[in-house]
Amino acid sequence: MAPRTRRVAWGLAAIITLAGLIAIPYHDPESPGARIAREDTVIFDLDRSIKNPRNFNWLTPGVKRLHGAHQAMWEPLFVLSYATGELEPWLGLQIVGNDTHDVWTLSLRRGVRWSDGEAFDADDVVFTADMVRDSDAISAREAIRFKAQIAETRKIDSHTVEFRLQKPNPSFHVENFGVLNFSSFLVMPEHVWRGQDVGSFDFYPPIGTGPYVFGSATSQRAIWDRNDDWWGADTGFRDLPQPKRLIWIESGGQENRAQLLRRNQLDAGQHLALGIFEAIQAKNPNVIAWHSGFPYGWTDPCPRQLEINTTVPPWDDAEMRRAVAHIVDRQQIIDIVYEGSTVPSKSMFVQYGAMQPFIDAVSNAGYSLPTTANVDAAHAIFESRGYRLDDDGTYRRDGEPLAVRILANTASAETTGTVDLLVEQLQRAGVDARSVPVEDGVFWGEVIPLGDYEMSYSWLSCGSVNEPWASMSRYTNSAIAPVGERAPGYNNTGRWDTDATSQYTAIVDRIGRLSLGDPQIPGLVANAYQHLYTEMPFVPLVQASKVLSFNTTYWTGWPTADRFYVHPMHWWNSTHLIIHGLERADAGKSSHVK
Amino acid sequence: MADATGMGGVVSDADEKAARRRAKRLKRFDSPWMNPKLLTGAGIIVGILLFGLLGRFLWDPELVFIGSAPLNLPPVGFENLRGEPGSPAHPLGTQSSGRDMLALMIVGAPNTLFIGVIASLIGMTIGILLGFSAGFIGGRTDDVIRVLSDVMITIPPLMVLIVFQTSIGEIGILMMGVLLSGFMWQSPTRLIRAQVLSMRQSGYVRMAKLSGASTFDIMFKEMLPNLVPYLFGSFIAIATTAIVTAVGLETLGLGPQRVPTLGRVIYEAIDSAALLRNMWWWWGIPTALLATMFVGLLLVNLGLDEVANPKLRKV
Repeated sequence: MAPRTRRVAWGLAAIITLAGLIAIPYHDPESPGARIAREDTVIFDLDRSIKNPRNFNWLTPGVKRLHGAHQAMWEPLFVLSYATGELEPWLGLQIVGNDTHDVWTLSLRRGVRWSDGEAFDADDVVFTADMVRDSDAISAREAIRFKAQIAETRKIDSHTVEFRLQKPNPSFHVENFGVLNFSSFLVMPEHVWRGQDVGSFDFYPPIGTGPYVFGSATSQRAIWDRNDDWWGADTGFRDLPQPKRLIWIESGGQENRAQLLRRNQLDAGQHLALGIFEAIQAKNPNVIAWHSGFPYGWTDPCPRQLEINTTVPPWDDAEMRRAVAHIVDRQQIIDIVYEGSTVPSKSMFVQYGAMQPFIDAVSNAGYSLPTTANVDAAHAIFESRGYRLDDDGTYRRDGEPLAVRILANTASAETTGTVDLLVEQLQRAGVDARSVPVEDGVFWGEVIPLGDYEMSYSWLSCGSVNEPWASMSRYTNSAIAPVGERAPGYNNTGRWDTDATSQYTAIVDRIGRLSLGDPQIPGLVANAYQHLYTEMPFVPLVQASKVLSFNTTYWTGWPTADRFYVHPMHWWNSTHLIIHGLERADAGKSSHVK
Repeated sequence: MADATGMGGVVSDADEKAARRRAKRLKRFDSPWMNPKLLTGAGIIVGILLFGLLGRFLWDPELVFIGSAPLNLPPVGFENLRGEPGSPAHPLGTQSSGRDMLALMIVGAPNTLFIGVIASLIGMTIGILLGFSAGFIGGRTDDVIRVLSDVMITIPPLMVLIVFQTSIGEIGILMMGVLLSGFMWQSPTRLIRAQVLSMRQSGYVRMAKLSGASTFDIMFKEMLPNLVPYLFGSFIAIATTAIVTAVGLETLGLGPQRVPTLGRVIYEAIDSAALLRNMWWWWGIPTALLATMFVGLLLVNLGLDEVANPKLRKV
């Protein structure tokens, strides 16, 4: 071998060796093994990244559930049917309260197993309940809510548990175990969690009782594979779901999401602007939404609102907050952000049929906000507080401009679009408003719970779908944290704490003690609501129309208005129903992508 | 003969006058500053500026704000995806937040140019001061400035600016220009230093030194005027770089938010899937205007190159 050729050969060998040495530490031992066909895979959309893909402790902050964990692996005890208002049994068979609603008895389904083969029983429920009750490290809303209500949990037998509450609550079962909203109280395996520190345990690799087991996860993707040994198929509860693999991917912005749906690389998409959905459907008719025509979207149970931190001057003055409410033109939000596909909120509540008596009570008492703006009324308030309109069109007092920074969660174009519009409306009314884009993890993990904001756009009244207490209880003064400390369960993050809050709290507590359907409730709701209307700790804006796309190229059986077996929120704990409802489609016949 | 001579004398005078006029005209056009590239480029840039300045009087600039126009209208003569025709009230169409495209171009194009000019002005000023100091004073001063500019030139500006902007939130046009200028001084510093090093040995510089002129006077009264065409060329090149960087940031959603710029318009078009929605006017018009702007700046730069470097001129 010539010296030059030898040098080249040695050089190549060295490079290959080096590359091998570098590659070894990066080998992912959990990378999915067997290849599974696209036709057997369902790809769900994730609108945020997974900050810590090796942490499944759902009790602590972060993306721990909606990347498939509580849709595929952790099953709920019950699922509230938005169609019938009934609790559908899942891991639980029945839950009944006593006459005073302070003791509840839960019966568990028999034959349920964790994916490692251990039996799921009352010990797991009691262990999880005690762990949540006794820990100060938890922050998940569902855990905080449960902790605030529970006094004692007792095992009656291996499949029966008794909950004793701190005070009566007629909605205890729906609020905590029914996937009322996003998630529910998730039972953890005692044999894995016992002895672990709740605040620091990462629960990795995770196990659950669901029909899918954890495959792998990165910050942009999570994979779950079907567990053919699932307890539900053995006990005859339900057949094995048809998809063999579920993948959640972070799609990025609307443009990416739209392109993935158009090319059949996504089966269930997050919210899209109405115009974008129409454009996708024009190019790929296999993509559908809740309604087959305008307005296409499903009314999200969380109405949108402008949150105000009531501790930050000048917004600590209730009249100044009312001035902001006067400036907001909610019809313009509907026309521009939702392209006419939704309606203004008449109160803090979602406008579902079951909520109508309470919404009517608020409206009839005169506490609904007008749809359009009354900027003159706002100006009168500003001027009564010593502000004067300057030559540059901004109100000033002692030379200082009347300014506000509104936080916008960048995970959603709907959020940023609405905040841009609110900024525009406030600017035109003489308030030096600015939009501050905040990354999703920082938004929900820090600034909102810690109260580190002046105003923000979100949906913190979310909760009620068939009774008023769940939403109203979020603004009581029962557990107000100082600014800088985490607001429990994201409740009252604006730290509204005045004499009116105390009066409001007393009425809401009274509502909480009454049975569902008690005729006193609408009147009490109106009485309590007068304090929200007068003090305006938040400004109700609009109902949110969610245009969620489903692709029928590979899978059919998606929930729609014509096939309402469950609502379409595929990042909720209730997604188990969607997955069980999917049927494999004939891709060749139905593909018409342009 | 007399007539002929007389006539001939008249003709000769007229010819001479005509020849002088022609020579004068040719001399005027012979000026290196009047080269076609420079004139065309300057014409384009001035045209864009006039479009922005006069447009504010002929069109309503308030239409740049959200909700000031109907949504998603195409330009006149076209239809959008829903079959709605364009309206003369919005000849270049509107986008999905109800902003008028013509108003966005009228306000946005000068703003984009302004960012480049601000960044270039500050960057060039710093570059001139440091380049002259390094080249003329030399020694430790030269070492420090050279190392500093060499290190800074290796730092990718886009990455640093993304981090910076994410941490400080919304910024205005002026602040954007100032931020960009932090990455625009290194190149002129190096190039001016090189020019000054070669000029330092020139006879007129030696003469100025011998006559006792101060360092400041030698640098800025004797040497600087000889670099004017070159400095103009650098100014335009840096302005172009600054605009490209600014558009890059804006297209990522950073930079000024309420004040329109061409990059911001393109970002909003991308974010709202304008490509998928066949809303070509939303991304196409600002892209075409940016392309025109860059062509204008390039021609000006090439023209100034000819002024600075006689070898580039056509015979």
